[in-house]
Amino acid sequence: MIAVGTLKRVFDWKVRGVRWIEIIGLVLVAAMIFSVYLAKAAAASESARIANLERQITQNGQRVRLLRAEVARLEQPGRLEALSRGAGLGPVDVHRQATVASLPELAPIPEPPPAVIIAPTLPAASEAAETPAVAAASAEPAQ
Amino acid sequence: MSVHDPQAWDRRAPGRSGGLSLSSWRWLTEIMWRIEHSFGRARADARPEEDTRVRIFVILSLFSAVFVCLALGAVNAALLAPKGGVGSIGHPNAVSRADVVDRNGALLATNIVHYGLYIDPAEVWDRRAAAIQIKRVLPRISMTRLNRVLSGDRRLIVMPGLTPGEKAAVHGLALGGVSFEPEDRRVYPLGASATHVLGVTDTGGQGLTGAELAFNREIRDAGARGENFPLSIDLRIQGVLENELARAVAESQAKGAVGIIADVQTGEILGMASWPTTDRLNRATSAHYEMGSVFKTFTVAAGLDTGRADMNTLFDASQAFMIGNRRITDFHATNQVLTLEEVYLHSSNIGTSRLAVEMGPATMRDYFTRFGLLDAAPIELHESARPRRPNKWDDSTLASLSFGYGIMITPLQMSAAMGALTNGGRFIPLTLRKGGLPNADVRQVVSPETSLTLLDLLRRNVVRGSGGRAEAPGLRVGGKTGSANKLVNGRYDPTHAVGTFAAVFPADGPVNARRYSILILIDEPGTFPRTGGFVAAPAAGRIADRIAPFLGIERRADQYRTALGERIPAFEDVEGDGR
Repeated sequence: MIAVGTLKRVFDWKVRGVRWIEIIGLVLVAAMIFSVYLAKAAAASESARIANLERQITQNGQRVRLLRAEVARLEQPGRLEALSRGAGLGPVDVHRQATVASLPELAPIPEPPPAVIIAPTLPAASEAAETPAVAAASAEPAQ
Repeated sequence: MSVHDPQAWDRRAPGRSGGLSLSSWRWLTEIMWRIEHSFGRARADARPEEDTRVRIFVILSLFSAVFVCLALGAVNAALLAPKGGVGSIGHPNAVSRADVVDRNGALLATNIVHYGLYIDPAEVWDRRAAAIQIKRVLPRISMTRLNRVLSGDRRLIVMPGLTPGEKAAVHGLALGGVSFEPEDRRVYPLGASATHVLGVTDTGGQGLTGAELAFNREIRDAGARGENFPLSIDLRIQGVLENELARAVAESQAKGAVGIIADVQTGEILGMASWPTTDRLNRATSAHYEMGSVFKTFTVAAGLDTGRADMNTLFDASQAFMIGNRRITDFHATNQVLTLEEVYLHSSNIGTSRLAVEMGPATMRDYFTRFGLLDAAPIELHESARPRRPNKWDDSTLASLSFGYGIMITPLQMSAAMGALTNGGRFIPLTLRKGGLPNADVRQVVSPETSLTLLDLLRRNVVRGSGGRAEAPGLRVGGKTGSANKLVNGRYDPTHAVGTFAAVFPADGPVNARRYSILILIDEPGTFPRTGGFVAAPAAGRIADRIAPFLGIERRADQYRTALGERIPAFEDVEGDGR
């Protein structure tokens, strides 16, 4: 009964003869209509963007196909061979072919030059111990 | 003030005639009046309150039901609708026909959007100037057609199949009344290369010839999935084959040529070329040739496999072999008794004829059938033609068959048979499918031992016999030459010859080692000598030399030659005087 009473009071709450509950309801409905309108408008612009992107993808795809075909045309073996023969190129003679394994035979790896290690003299060592920064600076040109 | 008559509400609507023959609209009016008057009737019956409440309740529940339905529909549309929608019914990259690529993915055939040129003459300002301008940027347009459309009175197509470049050029003229309609076209960017393998499609996107016809459904299915359709051919190998074939044709001034490269272990075709490329006929699949001495390989193989002969069996080639009054002689007459190996290396007609006649028609026929020489080559291509077989199998025919006369086969059959001979004796159907046929119908033709013996014999024929010009350093090429004259006006005319070389490399190693066959056939060479050893063998050698790196075959020494192609003296000392 209390609930019914409260409900009755809410319905009887009026301003200038208009129920507040109706005003609130109208405001809510207006807000909802506006938000639905916003959502629909946003969705429409998004779908327009998607359609635009899809069209671009299709166009790019077609362009890729066109360029692939162009590459295939330019790289066709007959054309390449004619161009290479024109440039004076030809199949490599068997005597000029080598595998990776046979490279050391063809050009032996040169012996590394004997490394010369100069023993540091005693004073330099003592200097280095005293002032490392100076020693490093003086050692640099030697390297 | 009028007196209220309670019975008046039950009074019938004016104009009612009564009876059962009411037309439907009259009946409808009746009901409407009844409803309209029910409120008054209820008030008259002194229960107006109840009637109003019932009416309000009925209308309320009706509206509630409608709104609940609408709400349910909205929820259903928002939450349970199929995902995606119109845009993603098919694959985004779907095309009507898939791109055909080679085994490494190099493009062979593709679909490119072309444009149809349409003109609406009503919107053209100056028709003469428009015609001249269009002709200038689009020289291949038909002037008659253009003028007919321009002088007409409605929008018509002037020319289909404008390339995107041509479309841009015409569009750049900024003429009124000119419009374009996109149309999907099949394009073969390689031009004449591999044209016989690929075939063509019609404008409706259905295959007409070649692989386009053979794999029509699969190519369309792959296109719907947005995938490529790979063939077994390798474009690099195909290119080498075509270039070397063109060179061989130029050198020998031939009328035509055929080249087939196949993997003998899987039956995959790696390259197939038919020259001239402008000819619609695919000579590799559809042309028939008497191939000559290449057939001696099959005769010798049959002889070895049946156990009727071994390498040291002697055949008397000191004089011509007489069958009835037919006299069989040798092209390179040795006039001595030869072993089977010498018969093969010297390409002795007498020796193989004797062997064939000894084996008899049943055995020969059995082996020729098993080698696939009496049936069309099994391959996907619909062009693969049936051979022309002999009608009767008497001794004379057997002798002819033994050295490759009296039967006309397609080069593809020869390639398949050579594959069977060199892969351990298994006849594997040829295929253009990458990776080979999954459930190939493989049959044993000869024993693996016979196959090994023949491989060695083929190799010896290159080292010491007629195939010397096919030697490629370190690649262990083996092969057999074939030279035949064509039947012209009922006579075998030596000026119309066919030179063949059936090669296989590498010829050493176990029977199941990786091995590739090369078949080169030169049709009617114009230069002398016209034999296979001169016109076809050099091309086979050069092709092996150039494609070995693509196939990953290393140069190695065998018992006859070093890796660099030098002779090994020991071998020459022992058997070098064999000829």
